[in-house]
Amino acid sequence: MAEPITRRAALGTLGAIGVGVAAGTLARPAGAAAQDAPAALGRHESVQDGLKRVFAGRPMKDGAGVIKLEVPPIAENGAVVPVSVEVAAPMTPTSYVKNIWIVADKNRIPIVARASLTPDAGQAFVGANIRLGETTDVRAVVEQSDGTLLTTKREVKVTVGGCGG
Amino acid sequence: MNDIGKIRIRVPSSVKPGDVVRVRCLVIHPMERIERDAQGKIVDRNYNYITRVTATYLGKPVVAFDLTQSVSENPAFSFALKATAPGPVKVTFVDTHGGKYEGAADIAFA
Repeated sequence: MAEPITRRAALGTLGAIGVGVAAGTLARPAGAAAQDAPAALGRHESVQDGLKRVFAGRPMKDGAGVIKLEVPPIAENGAVVPVSVEVAAPMTPTSYVKNIWIVADKNRIPIVARASLTPDAGQAFVGANIRLGETTDVRAVVEQSDGTLLTTKREVKVTVGGCGG
Repeated sequence: MNDIGKIRIRVPSSVKPGDVVRVRCLVIHPMERIERDAQGKIVDRNYNYITRVTATYLGKPVVAFDLTQSVSENPAFSFALKATAPGPVKVTFVDTHGGKYEGAADIAFA
């Protein structure tokens, strides 16, 4: 999908270049993450646009072996779907899981939530109840403190949608 | 809707120093979802939903959630923390209408 270069994308890229290249991955400047207003997180967009906006095309590795994404295989009520993400990664001040995003591909607002963790958590685990509009893949995207992105996804079958009109 | 902002936080009852414990919390909140008019256009108004949740333990941040309207009504969250000393876990919710709700629970060693 052709999309004009937005100010956000341009600034994000410039910032990332400024910080430098870490292990072949462009590190995201910490300041940019902090400035992301929460309201900017939830937009009406396709999941591709959303992922492009948030991650600016940074490479994502398959994290199926590391990320434990727990979702119900069938959700009778899409209004309340418990999702939990656990990452088998150390939580030390030098290496920890910084952010966990929960993404529901077919929701009108696909980027559901972002959890920012500190090493004090001791374990990279978060859970939340989310809405799903229809049967969809649910993804977890994990950003580690060195900027590595890992992702995994699982499908949830929804019998009654929860996102309304 | 007088119950908005009621918070329940559950921590395990028997905790040993150094344990990684899981804390669950729940807040009563409508988390209004997007409405559409007859033409299918989005009704533009300030929807009341929680945008940010922060949790601290012993005054230090443990986790912060940024939320959207894709999160359920009366949202529930869980997270982990490493219990190093007895003390309070505080959770703060902020919504788009300026509401700020706080809840706390104590980690106590058995």
